[in-house]
Amino acid sequence: MLVEILFYSFATIVVLAGAGVIMARNPVHAALSLVLCFLTSAVLWMLIEAEFLAIVLVLVYVGAVMVLFLFVVMMLDINIEEMRRGFRRYVVPGAVITAMLVAEIVGVIVQRRLGLDVTRGAVPLPPGYSNATDLGIALFTRYAYAIEIAAMLLLVAIIAAISLTMRRRRGLKVQDIAAQVGVRASDRLRVVKMDAEPRQ
Amino acid sequence: MNPQLLLAIPLLPLAAAIIAGLAGKLIGRTGAALITIAGVAAACVLSVQVLWALLHGAPPWNAPVYTWLVSDNVSMQVGFLVDRLTALMMVVVTFVSLCVHVYTMGYMRDDPGYQRFFAYISLFTFSMLMLVMANNFMQLFFGWEAVGVVSYLLIGFWYTRPSAIFANLKAFLVNRVGDFGFLLGIAGVLYYTGSLDYQTAFSWAPGIAARTMTILPGHAWSAMTVICICLFIGAMGKSAQVPLHVWLPDSMEGPTPISALIHAATMVTAGIFMVARMSPLFEYSDTALSFVMVIGATTALFMGFLGIINNDIKRVVAYSTLSQLGYMTVALGVSAYSVAIFHLMTHAFFKALLFLTAGAVIVAMHHEQDMRKMGGLRHRMPLTYWTSVIGALALIGTPFFSGFYSKDALIEAVGESHRYGASYAYFCVVAGVFVTAFYTFRMIFMTFHGEERLDHHAKEHFHDVGWDMKGPLVALAIPSLLIGFFTIEPVLFNGYFGSAIRVLERNDVVAEIGREFHGAANFALHSVLSLPLYLAIAGVVSAWYLVLKRPALATSIQQRFSWLYRLLDNKYYFDWFNENVLARSSRALGYGLWRGGDQAIIDGVLVNGSAGAVGWFAGVARALQSGFLYSYAFWMIVGLVMLLGWFLVRL
Amino acid sequence: MINPALNESTLTLASLAPAITEIALATGICAVLMFDVFAGRTWRYLTHGLTLVVLAICAWLTLSVGAVATRTVLFDGLYVADKLGVFLKLAALMATALCLFYSQHYLDRRRIHGGEYDILAMTALLGISVLISANNLLTVYLGVELLSLSLYALVAFDRDSGIAAEAAIKYFVLGAIASGALLYGMSMLYGLTGTLSLDKLALVSASHGAGFVIAVAFIVVAVAFKFGAVPFHMWVPDVYHGAPSSVALLIATAPKLASFALVMRLLVYGLGADPVLWVQMLTALAVLSLLLGNILAIAQTNIRRMLAYSAIANVGFILLGFVTADTAGYRAALSYTLVYVLTTLGSFGVLLLAARSDGEADELDDFKGLGTRDPLLALLMLGLMLSTAGVPPLVGFWAKLWIIQALLHTHHLGLAILAVLVSVIGAYYYLRVIWYMYFDAGREQTPIPRQAGTRLALGLNTLAVLALGLLPNVLLSLCERLIGAP
Repeated sequence: MLVEILFYSFATIVVLAGAGVIMARNPVHAALSLVLCFLTSAVLWMLIEAEFLAIVLVLVYVGAVMVLFLFVVMMLDINIEEMRRGFRRYVVPGAVITAMLVAEIVGVIVQRRLGLDVTRGAVPLPPGYSNATDLGIALFTRYAYAIEIAAMLLLVAIIAAISLTMRRRRGLKVQDIAAQVGVRASDRLRVVKMDAEPRQ
Repeated sequence: MNPQLLLAIPLLPLAAAIIAGLAGKLIGRTGAALITIAGVAAACVLSVQVLWALLHGAPPWNAPVYTWLVSDNVSMQVGFLVDRLTALMMVVVTFVSLCVHVYTMGYMRDDPGYQRFFAYISLFTFSMLMLVMANNFMQLFFGWEAVGVVSYLLIGFWYTRPSAIFANLKAFLVNRVGDFGFLLGIAGVLYYTGSLDYQTAFSWAPGIAARTMTILPGHAWSAMTVICICLFIGAMGKSAQVPLHVWLPDSMEGPTPISALIHAATMVTAGIFMVARMSPLFEYSDTALSFVMVIGATTALFMGFLGIINNDIKRVVAYSTLSQLGYMTVALGVSAYSVAIFHLMTHAFFKALLFLTAGAVIVAMHHEQDMRKMGGLRHRMPLTYWTSVIGALALIGTPFFSGFYSKDALIEAVGESHRYGASYAYFCVVAGVFVTAFYTFRMIFMTFHGEERLDHHAKEHFHDVGWDMKGPLVALAIPSLLIGFFTIEPVLFNGYFGSAIRVLERNDVVAEIGREFHGAANFALHSVLSLPLYLAIAGVVSAWYLVLKRPALATSIQQRFSWLYRLLDNKYYFDWFNENVLARSSRALGYGLWRGGDQAIIDGVLVNGSAGAVGWFAGVARALQSGFLYSYAFWMIVGLVMLLGWFLVRL
Repeated sequence: MINPALNESTLTLASLAPAITEIALATGICAVLMFDVFAGRTWRYLTHGLTLVVLAICAWLTLSVGAVATRTVLFDGLYVADKLGVFLKLAALMATALCLFYSQHYLDRRRIHGGEYDILAMTALLGISVLISANNLLTVYLGVELLSLSLYALVAFDRDSGIAAEAAIKYFVLGAIASGALLYGMSMLYGLTGTLSLDKLALVSASHGAGFVIAVAFIVVAVAFKFGAVPFHMWVPDVYHGAPSSVALLIATAPKLASFALVMRLLVYGLGADPVLWVQMLTALAVLSLLLGNILAIAQTNIRRMLAYSAIANVGFILLGFVTADTAGYRAALSYTLVYVLTTLGSFGVLLLAARSDGEADELDDFKGLGTRDPLLALLMLGLMLSTAGVPPLVGFWAKLWIIQALLHTHHLGLAILAVLVSVIGAYYYLRVIWYMYFDAGREQTPIPRQAGTRLALGLNTLAVLALGLLPNVLLSLCERLIGAP
């Protein structure tokens, strides 16, 4: 009972925070809403006894990714009005579509035809069970292939990021110190010898 | 027999044709000639080997080589059916083709299209071999059309001459009519048997014979009769039977070697071969066979008449070919398929010989074809003279010559037949003997005998032909003389064709003749007691009388019977009818449809109207692609909601 | 605690043989990457050649080591190897190699040819391979992401091009939405069945609740996005138009094979117990794609946008093959995909070669007078356009015919009629290119670079289109061998 109360209250916060991400006028507020969203999700994971994942979520997403994200948002001067101009035009049809989607999903749940009743809820784990060990074993045995592919995925991300940013733009005016130092007089100076012009 | 070897027979000429055609400049004139001759010679040797193997007990080969595609359980294959019928055709085709290849070296010596010509005739050899070796209707049709295409190309070989272009267009159009029937026939076979394979189709034949189809309401037709007549209409086009014969005389616009190869010895006999090959089908329809017989008899006699009044040496031979094709068709019509094929073989040799001698005369005369400007040439070109006399004697059916055996057997077979219309056919083929003898020797006398009527130019430039042209003449003269004597007994009476040709017991006229047959020599001696020999002699004598003895008489006859002369001179007004009635009315119909149907309804309403509608819709739909990211995302979500909603509502 | 999955015997080297393509490719990627990093300016031009060598080695290894006779499952069911997979991988290897080969000159002339380009193409290929061999929802997702991420980066590769950056952003954001949909659908499936394995999903009984509908709908959305089917097609024209032509070429070809494999593995196999759901969804998508793709293609003046809409229309055809939900239809879809990839390689190849050094040859007007400016290229384009339009002696005709046949055999008369009708509409804009090439005078007079090697490859490419059209049985029997009887 306590678990269910906790679940529903935190789930509500997740949804509200999610709505906050897209509704907030200020991008910093939006980012903070996202942080809240992650935090509450971590709590939800705690409730199904996935402690390790919950902590990783907080550490990686909240601690690293979102902080980076906040930096970027603050550094870029985003014109909110510009961004929202299209948004307003889409409010009405967007709301209609969202309502339909929600109605569809709710309809399914309310009429209990979801089909989820075939699977049981999470079975309580025995005391002393180590989430991290089990995860580790699974990852490096059963999911070894997936891990390898995920590693390649990260490699691609690195390559993509580097190749899209580390690039000398054409026509950029920057100093090349080495070239400046290494310059020789003969490169810059041309001595031209010519006869003096006869007096008119 | 191994399939690689069989495959090599058509493919060697094809390879030679491709090399000579595409790399003609590279390998030069001699190179093109040598490579195609080598290809055809190899095919000829291999064909002889195949025939040899079959004669010595090898079983017929029948298997697919390559499956081109399978659609709705109908498999379209390339496959070979090589039995004795096929092997005989293969030897005839490759041998005559080889002779013509060699002959061409001399005939076309000065022509700028030398390599192209060799490429064409080699390609023709390939197509013809594919046709005769086919084991299914698809490949038969391919070969059928391929020889048609090459024939079209070769008739128009000298494409700068308007008459050549007219002639090849005519050949093309007339053959379309025939091919339409042929295609309908094949479709009929496919409809009733569900297979394009000969063996399967033939095994269904009794079943089809029992079925009827309704084309006009209220009239039930035997399905087999309809199929066979349709197939035969194809043969009528290709083998130039009345009324689809009009293209063959005009095809003489092509170079003479191809007149010999395509329009005398091989392609035009494809129709005869096809009907013989389809004998298991035709046997089940007496109506169709009667139709075949009447058409053939009409062609045999009435086309012979046209040869009498012509003065163009090649056209005389061409009308003779038409008449002889009529003979073969009559033989088919009385179920004497083996006799038809036998006559096809002997005819291939002696008619090719006659064409090639005519070609030699034409070359010697500097491309003069009018016999009125020849005469007395026997002293100037003795070898050509003697070989052409051999050909002529074979053609008119002189005892012991090859033509005699096939023609006499044919006439006797017609005499034995009791099919509806057989007496008309018998009259035609017997009367045809006189006509044949008359025009053949009229040609010989006008060309080689009498006084020289050469004009100044021809006299000055006259030169006898070289051995590259004489060689093939000799090579063809030998079989023209001898082949009938040596092969009549094995081919006709000793069951040579085996299962390749099927004749029902009640139709078997060849067996009737076989009962009275006591050896080839006896057969020849027996002819002294028969009418055709005397008719032939009468024909030769009257030709001699009218051409050499009393030329004035011929002129007075011509004046006396001027209406008859006009009828013959206008070729029974077939061309006039085709051009003024058929062509003109179809042009009028086409014009009407173009203006009314095409321009007004299709272009105006359907095409422009629907194009306008599509264009308008495209403009509207284009607006959806706004270029804004959130619009794209929005439409994605809309799509998702629609997909979901559609199913949830229905669930 | 010992996990039961930790089974010593599965970890021998020989047992990994069926996965040799991915292993070799991943190794090759690392090797080329290291080479490119340490080679320095002098040797870096070799990266491109080295990439082609790596691809060739991968193809050879796939054939010699990786070819499997029967369905083999590896890595605890994450990975499946079968004849279809081996063939699709070979096709993808070949398509990618051809793409890189055709693009070399184009990239060099624009000075955007870095080693990263080849490496990203290879990682995209690795993603395709992973997808082709996926036997688990997790692998499916990883494959999709590996492929997509590489393609996003490639689209943005020309940093100096604003339009490319815009296309990349659109592709990326929409792709993220699609990935979200895919993940959501997968999580629904997991919640409903408790498994990620496609083998086990395939056994799940058809009696399921409405939750299944939601799961399938979300998954179909993602699949449709990858294919570029209406209404999830919006990215296609913008990406084809915005990305460098060489990248558009890559996106238009090999990933189509991956999308085909995605449907085969995920829908046909994994959700095959009850195909009714996704069949009806795909029907709707196919009809919309055919109509909208063909009609919008007419309104385009840019040939790359035209080809993009043509791609959408062709995807409609491929989906029609799946709509039949029988083996003949899947075969028809496979042959259509192969034919489409082959033909598109050729037509984009011509486009790349005809591109001006300062820009693209992508306005339809640029093709005016190509017939006199460069007869060979015009001839190749003629053959390719006719094939795409479905003119008989060329293979495109057979591909369309087989789809329509499969539809008729499963009594989808209406869809068959629609397919024929839109083919007629489609013929218009393919023929229009031909019209421009041969019957309009062009203003562009600069000669097109010789590039004998590329021309030879393009010629062979077009010849293959013709040869397969003349010998359609080759393709047909191949597809029959790959997708067996039910």
